[in-house]
Amino acid sequence: MASKKLLVAQREFVENVRTKTFWIGILAVPVILVISIGAGWVLEQFRETKTYAVVDYSDIGLARRIEQQARLGDLKAMGKLTGAIAESLSDDDEIPEETAEKLHRAWLDLPASEMEQMLEDDPGGFQDARRFNLIRLSELELDHLEPEEQARELTKLVEDDKLFAYFTIGANPIVNADGFAYVSSNYTDDKLRKWYDSAATRVIQSMRIRDAKIARDVAERIKQPIRFKKRKDDGTGTGKTEEVTIGDTANKYAPVAFVYLLWIAVFTAAQMLLTNTVEEKSNRIIEVLLSSCSPGELMSGKIWGIAATGMTMVGSWIGFALLGVWVAPMLIPSLDLPLMEIIGDPLYLISFAAYFLFGYLLYAAMLVAIGSVCNSLKEAQNLMQPVVILLIIPLISMIFIVQEPNGLVAKVMSYIPLFTPFTMMNRAGGPPEVYEYVITGILLVVSVWIAFKAAGKIFRIGVLMTGNPPKLMQILGWLRAK
Amino acid sequence: MTDALVLQGVTKRFGTFTAVDDLSLRVPTGCIYGFLGQNGAGKTTTIRMVMSIFHQDSGTISVLGHNNAVEVKDRLGYLPEEKGLYKKMKTAEIVAYFGKLKGMDTSTANEKAKTLLTQYGLGDWLDKKCEAMSKGMGQKVQILGTIIHEPDLVILDEPFSGLDPVNRDVMRDTILQMKREGRTVIFSTHVMEQAEQLCDAAMMIHKGKLAFDGTISEIKAGHDFGIRIAFDGDGEALKQLPGLSRINNQGRSAEIFLKDGTSPQAALRWLMDHVELRSFDYGEPSLHEVFVNTVETHNAAHATVEAN
Repeated sequence: MASKKLLVAQREFVENVRTKTFWIGILAVPVILVISIGAGWVLEQFRETKTYAVVDYSDIGLARRIEQQARLGDLKAMGKLTGAIAESLSDDDEIPEETAEKLHRAWLDLPASEMEQMLEDDPGGFQDARRFNLIRLSELELDHLEPEEQARELTKLVEDDKLFAYFTIGANPIVNADGFAYVSSNYTDDKLRKWYDSAATRVIQSMRIRDAKIARDVAERIKQPIRFKKRKDDGTGTGKTEEVTIGDTANKYAPVAFVYLLWIAVFTAAQMLLTNTVEEKSNRIIEVLLSSCSPGELMSGKIWGIAATGMTMVGSWIGFALLGVWVAPMLIPSLDLPLMEIIGDPLYLISFAAYFLFGYLLYAAMLVAIGSVCNSLKEAQNLMQPVVILLIIPLISMIFIVQEPNGLVAKVMSYIPLFTPFTMMNRAGGPPEVYEYVITGILLVVSVWIAFKAAGKIFRIGVLMTGNPPKLMQILGWLRAK
Repeated sequence: MTDALVLQGVTKRFGTFTAVDDLSLRVPTGCIYGFLGQNGAGKTTTIRMVMSIFHQDSGTISVLGHNNAVEVKDRLGYLPEEKGLYKKMKTAEIVAYFGKLKGMDTSTANEKAKTLLTQYGLGDWLDKKCEAMSKGMGQKVQILGTIIHEPDLVILDEPFSGLDPVNRDVMRDTILQMKREGRTVIFSTHVMEQAEQLCDAAMMIHKGKLAFDGTISEIKAGHDFGIRIAFDGDGEALKQLPGLSRINNQGRSAEIFLKDGTSPQAALRWLMDHVELRSFDYGEPSLHEVFVNTVETHNAAHATVEAN
């Protein structure tokens, strides 16, 4: 004869796990993850080509030179392809307009797959060519007009959405920045403006340097920005350093993903428990159950049954992660491997499972108590608000703690049992000292035990109550009762 | 023969409200016993204490010879007033689950659940979810869940409420069957006709206190005999009956009580002249009359106490 607690747990587990929605929910997480990573790329593919025109107030053909400069990335890549002019082109070189034009058009006509292959090193150039398209004033039959007239006509075109934007180039760029403008009806998409800005800056800087008669090498030296290279101890104990790789940075941020999943898991499981308790109470099946087993057996049976459900969920996600680590490099050979190693890191996986269990148990005890005093889901959701607010805190502090894993806030939060699972998971990249794991772990286990005791007292009385939910003072009275 | 259930001086309070007040009673083994009383009288609270869902504040409860009801929990069957099922569970599973919770082993419970459901005409529903069933079917499933483990004492809280006549008969037959098998059945109701038809003995609880208990004939003893008639015609006219003390007029039937010294014969003659009589029966009062009478007497006594 199985113990009644086990029977209750088993029923809860089977009821949840055998539904399709449960598995769809589990599958949804990796799918959403993949989608959110892939979505940016996919959306970028749907980005429409932005058309722009240029009104040039300077009489030195600046527009043409800026255009060439802006397309230089494309041209260099193209040049690399032909192997002919790549090395000879520098930022200041002028390319005969005809050649530039031909190259540019040829480039645009290439099939995307080929372009990608050619541009492995410099995808930026490829994207620029695709994303922005210059409409010449001659094409618009505005080339015979005065610049002021041109600007007025272009403004109308922009207003009518026939043109995404147009630029005006100041009359005297060597002396000042007057008259430079960007006119568009779209105020949010700044990519075109920034791209053109930087090309114009490079061209005009060169012109100003030449105008000031500064030697080219001197100018280059002056223009050279200072960059502090990120380095770290190389771990050999010799005091030497090595470069910080993307993998190293990812390693420090990896806990964020785990905290987020942990949060979803705890929240989903605890919510499941709450709904379930309220359902049993509102359809009065609870009375039949209580005629067969004690409130304590029922409560812990439910909590453990849903814990098993939650562990199934967490276990499936870990399974997906490991599968991803194994499959992803086969599909995409160039994938950054350090990231994959992190996902597969047993330290993360084991602490993830353990923190899920204890975090869930703590919140489960709170929610089962709330569920037991409510007669409807609506009441329960109202009473649940404070718990949700508590749960949001570790989410808000997630990025902050990853950046300061051993800071004061992180340390203080680690010792608050309600936040311990999330915060300690969050700090894993730190990592915290062993003694911190031990002390916060003990605190967490003790809190779970106390929460179970308290929840038991509330559950026993609350679950048979009908009518209005009890007042807080009343509940405190139950807690004091033996 | 020992008693299946003995309550002695049982009191239960909720805050300042006394739900059950110094209740003592005996339910003999193997009988059908009625718990009567108005809504809110304390029937359900008493039942919950017997089932050790609640614990009494004072007094003792002995169930099946044990002072601690928890010890014999598995030998009790309980159908609460408000009946619920897990909507997503299949009928056979839920009946078996209730059996397992009462200590049956898995395979026996599964087999028994199927047998019972088939026996009760739900053989086609074994693999269907509870949410797909009608209310009557759901109630059948619940009663099967209550009796699957062959309990020695079955407590049914308002088992007939919400049942159509056909299912009411099924419920009645089930109760009688349990009695034949030697089990003790306690059921609560506020429909006196059901109690009168089924119960060997009963008790009535009023505002938490025991109003009366005993076998049905013991309960009726000491109460005035009454005339039960079925008639066609104007029921209002009956109020003019000479020597009338009290009347429960149900439209086409009525229960009439006469003042002391009034002859039933005289009443019969008068009735024949004034309404179209279909039947006439002079005898002990119905349980309904005893119930109403008791409530009125208690309320009157209560009012007097208040007034003083």
